[in-house]
This record gives sequence, C-alpha cells and structure tokens, in this order.
Amino acid sequence: MNDFGLVFGAEFTRKLRSRAFIAGTIAGMVSIAILVLAPELFARTLRTSSSSIVLAGPPALRARAAGLLSGRYEIVAQVDTARAPLTAAGLDRFGKAAAAVVLGYEPRRLRVDVYARDLSQVGDGVAESLAPLQLALATGTDAAGVARLTAADLHAHPVDSRFVNANAAEIAHGIAFGLIFVLYLSIIITSQSVMASVAEEKTSRIAEVLVAAISPTRLLAGKILAAGTLGLGQIAIWGLTGAVLAPLGLSGFVTLSAGGAHPQLLLVAPATLAIFLTSFVLGFVQFATLYAAAASLISRTEDLGSVATPVILPVVGAFFLAQYAAVAPNAPLSVVASFVPFVAPFVMFTRSAITDVPPFELIVSLAINLAAALFCFDLAGKVYRVGLLMYGKLPSLRQVAAAVRSR
Amino acid sequence: MLTVEHVWRSFGAVSAVRDVSFVLPRGQTLGLLGPNGAGKTTTMRMILGIYAPDRGSVRWRSAPIDETTRKRLGYLPEERGLYGRLRVREQIVYFARLHGVRAAAARAAAEHWMQLLDIAAYADRPCSELSKGNQQKVQLACAAAHEPELLILDEPFSGLDPVNAQIVLGAIETLRRNGATLVLSSHQMWQIESACDRFCIIAGGEVRAAGTLAELRAAVPERLVRIAPDGPAARRVLERFGPPAPGCNGDLDYRLPASSDFAALLSELVAVAPITHFEPIPPSLASIYLRAIGSADNEASVP
Repeated sequence: MNDFGLVFGAEFTRKLRSRAFIAGTIAGMVSIAILVLAPELFARTLRTSSSSIVLAGPPALRARAAGLLSGRYEIVAQVDTARAPLTAAGLDRFGKAAAAVVLGYEPRRLRVDVYARDLSQVGDGVAESLAPLQLALATGTDAAGVARLTAADLHAHPVDSRFVNANAAEIAHGIAFGLIFVLYLSIIITSQSVMASVAEEKTSRIAEVLVAAISPTRLLAGKILAAGTLGLGQIAIWGLTGAVLAPLGLSGFVTLSAGGAHPQLLLVAPATLAIFLTSFVLGFVQFATLYAAAASLISRTEDLGSVATPVILPVVGAFFLAQYAAVAPNAPLSVVASFVPFVAPFVMFTRSAITDVPPFELIVSLAINLAAALFCFDLAGKVYRVGLLMYGKLPSLRQVAAAVRSR
Repeated sequence: MLTVEHVWRSFGAVSAVRDVSFVLPRGQTLGLLGPNGAGKTTTMRMILGIYAPDRGSVRWRSAPIDETTRKRLGYLPEERGLYGRLRVREQIVYFARLHGVRAAAARAAAEHWMQLLDIAAYADRPCSELSKGNQQKVQLACAAAHEPELLILDEPFSGLDPVNAQIVLGAIETLRRNGATLVLSSHQMWQIESACDRFCIIAGGEVRAAGTLAELRAAVPERLVRIAPDGPAARRVLERFGPPAPGCNGDLDYRLPASSDFAALLSELVAVAPITHFEPIPPSLASIYLRAIGSADNEASVP
C-alpha cells in the first residue's frame, strides 16, 4: 500500500472510532429527525389544540356548515343548540375543544355565535368558511349555485418553473432547505475533523516525524480524503434517517419529476442528488484545506480558537446566502453568488433544487469551483508544509507568506 | 556514505546554517554536537529532506535525498509526539508501514523492538497511558522499526532516567552492530563519547570542529598532566614546561603543550621527587566541545 493509502486508512479508522464522529453522526440524525418530523408534530399539536370545535345548531344547518368548516377545523362533536358548551368547563367535556360554534337562523341571514378559549384562533376563520352558507341563505340559492357563483374558472400555467403546481414547488423548497442544512452540517463537521486531526499532529509534535517519512501534500490529501469519505458516509446515514422518517412527516420527500406531490415516495430527483454531492465535494475541499492550513499554524491547542473563528465565518455566510437564494433564486445576488468559491456550493445547489438553472451556469460554476478547490489545496499544501514545522507564537500572515516563499 | 557539502539555510533574516560540511562513512556513528540554537536540528532536517538547503547539497550513498531515499532514513526528533489514542503496537506498525515495510514484517519488527526496549507489556495500551520514559522508547521504536540505513536521533537520552537511558544506549549499540549509520545529537557527553565514531561540533550555524575523537584530540594544542604526590621539587620541574591547572585530591595538574616530551619530563620528575602517579590526560570530548564553541573559561575546569 502506498503512503497515501496508509494515511487514508489510518485516518479513516481513527476518525471512525472517535467519539466526535460518533456523536456528530448521532446529533445529525437527531437534527434530521427533528427537521422531518417537527412540522407534522407541530401541525398536529396546533390542530388538536386550536382547531378542534364543537358544532351546535339545527341539524339541517349543521349538515351544510359541517361541509364548509371541515376543511379548516376538526369537528369533534355536533350537538343541539341547547347542549352547546358555552364555558371552558363545557369545552373540556369535548376533549378540550378550542371553541363551540353555535349556528342559528335570522331572517335571510345566518347567525353564528363562537364561544372560544382564544378568539384570535377561531373567529375570523369561521366567518370566512361559512361565507358561502350566508350567501346561500341571503339569495335563496342552493349549494351548487353558490359554488358556481363563488368559484373562478382558474387555469394555472407555471412559467420558468419545473414544478407543475404550487404544492410541488412548496415541497421542493422544503427538500432544498433540508439538504442545505445537511450540506452545511456535513461541511462544518468534516472540515473541523480535518482541522482537529492536523492540530493533534502539530501540537503533539508527530508532524515532524510524519513529514520526514512522507510528503506533506500526500499526508494532507490522505487526511482530506478520509474525512470526506466519512462525511459522505454520514450524509448517507442522515439521508437514510430522513427517508425512513419522511412518511411520518407532513413534508416528506416526494417525486417531483412526475409533476405531482406524492408523499408516499421517498425520492429526491437524481439531478438534485448529483448536484448536492458535487456541491459537498467542492465545498468540503475548499473549506477543509483552509481549515487544515489554519490548524498547521498553531503550536498549542489553546490557539485553535484564534484560527478557527476567521475560517468558520465563510461557511456561516454561505449558509445565509443559500437561505436568501431559496427565497430569490434568480435575484442578481443569488446568480453572482452561485459562481463565487466557498459560497457557490451552497447557493448553486439551492438554486438548482428549486428552479431551472441554465446548464451553462452550472458548467461555469463547476469549472470555477473545481479550479478554486485545486488552488485551495495547492495553497493550503504550501502553508501546511511550512506551518507544521513552525512553533512558538502564532505567526502573522506576512510571516507565513515569507515562510512559504523561502521553502 | 552521508555527504553534507557546504549547506546553507536561512529563515528570513536569520542564517541558521552556514557552510556546513562533513562526511559520515556507512556503518559509523556521528555525534552532532552544539549548544541550543547552533543549527543542529536544521542540519538534521536538511539531511532528512524536510528542508531543502538554500545552497550546497546532501547526499546519501551518492544520491540526493528524495522520496525514495527518505524511506530508508529514520528520525527521532527532539520534540517528540505520539498519537495518544493509538495503541503501542499499532503506532510502531503504522510508522514502519509509512516507511514502506509490508504489514507482516512491520508487525514482526514491532514485536522485536518492543522486546528490545522492554515495552512489550504495554503493546495493547494506548500511548497516552504510558509514562514519559516509555513513550520515548515507543518513539525510538517508531523511528527504527523499518531498519533504516541512516537513523538520526536528536537528543535520544533527554528526559530518561538512568535505567531507561541504559536501555536506549543498548538499543543504539544493537543498531551499530547491525551496521546502521547513525547521527546522534545529545548534550550527555559521556554517553555520546562512547557511542560515536566521529563528531561534528556546530556553533552559530558553522562547523567548529569535525573528525574522530583522536583527530579532535590531536588538534588540541595542550595536554593536562596529573602528577602525585605534590611537592616543591616536582613543581619546580613542571613550571618549566607550562602553567598549573586547578588540581584535585591533592594531585598536581599542569597544562603542558601537546608537543612536550613527556618521557623526558617523567625522567626529570623521578630524579627529583618520589613520583607515584604520572598521567598525561587526553582531552575529553566535553573539553574539546567547550573549546570549540568558545567557552574557554568553562573548558579550563574540564579535563
């Protein structure tokens, strides 16, 4: 086995056994689970706490109103007017319902009395939902007639979008957000693991023995590849976690290419997946090399914080820019940012997940960021090579540049 | 043969090594001596190819130091470290494999070195759990397990208790017997004097003296002569040859020119006094070292 393979194997094994990797993987799984399940749990909690109602009134009126209200509220019981719960204690008898909606006739109009724990949660929504019934009573029109009068003849035509309807687009945004989060988490964790590994070798003085045996460039490459491979493994574990839990969540993964939103399927479009993985590799190499170079300059573990802060800011900045791109994928800032190294892996992925990015933009961004990744590796390799043998006070950038030149 | 030819190395405005040259035949051991900051570590790093010289060249067996050559070299730096969580055996095997040794041979070498250095009992313990002395022995095993043709040991005895220092000295002797070429740096003069065939004394980045101990001694222009018992007649004879030096245990110590006729001196002394002890003492490595680096005051008190 050559040096590179040995370093890769040793790094891979050491990191795989490390508590940091195991804890990071589990933390990521928990985060994904929260991300996938939280909306559904939240919605369910809201439904049960603020949208359950008891419907009271004459049976014929209740029957017509129930159809209109059921889209927005969970009707837990229908009772005669006389049995309507008008107090909190009365609502408690119906599984802690949020409100009682009492219907009654008045000349040519509907009377609605709402007895709610929180009127802001129920009042206006009930009035909106029952508006067709009011119209029917006022005009003497039947339900079909009201429907004809109130429903516009809507024909939706998506423009500049791969999604055939709003539901599919909304779910694509959800997936994009989830994957940006995974991308951010993976790049941060894997880059920091490279940083920790370099710092360990530097501060424990093993580095000098290592560079006497193998080239620093191969040492760095072996480290980065091992961390990247484990990062991809983590992503696979997290993806699997998301896929398994998605059916339980309201915003589960769906098939987008089919045009519909079918929450029973757990597929991300292959093109989206390919761009995601490419973004991870490019982003990881750019950041990990930066982190490795920074870590090679420290002499004591206590100095790690000083060099980590400046290099963590670009990742956080890129994450926020990706959030912006998710809202405005074709805004000039989003388009420009999708070519800028360090930021592009996040922004271009976000754009490509939610809108149709022209192929030439994808190719140009890929070329720029591939070149940037190679440049970062080369530059970081030079800093790493001299940094490993620099001890004492944390050097200034000028001192590092001078050392790189004198190598 | 290791050939270091007129190497120079600067770091910014600091000139760490200036025109250093020496040769070390295969199978011999060189003691690289010098005060802190003399340029020893930089010289060693240039021999290992970690630093490229600004000028001059380093060759091992007539070839420049490249990726292939480096696999045949071993290095124990002064500032040492180990992977704390890695077990002793795994650590030695890993470093042997980094130097191109196959897995099975690396495991066998690890067992051999753990036995030799008396650390086999800790084979499956994480290195962070070992005492400092045992960690140093693991580091020596890591440096030597691939049976390097040229092994560079920077301060191999520092921080070791006498028992462990003796074990390490024994391991170095084993390496010498097996034909390894060694470069040793140490401030423990008595250990290095017995362990080395040749010496190179560096100070201020320059070679101040180089050669075998006999060659270094031959270059010293005076000899310390110890005579007993003390007496005015003997002193009168000796003062014609040179100045007195601080004596010890009631003996007479005199610094005489190395070219003195010691046989004639002894004849004269015996003729005038009941001499029971006459000993021209060859300069020790410590005194040669102190003289070479320019600490004449200290050198006067060292035989």
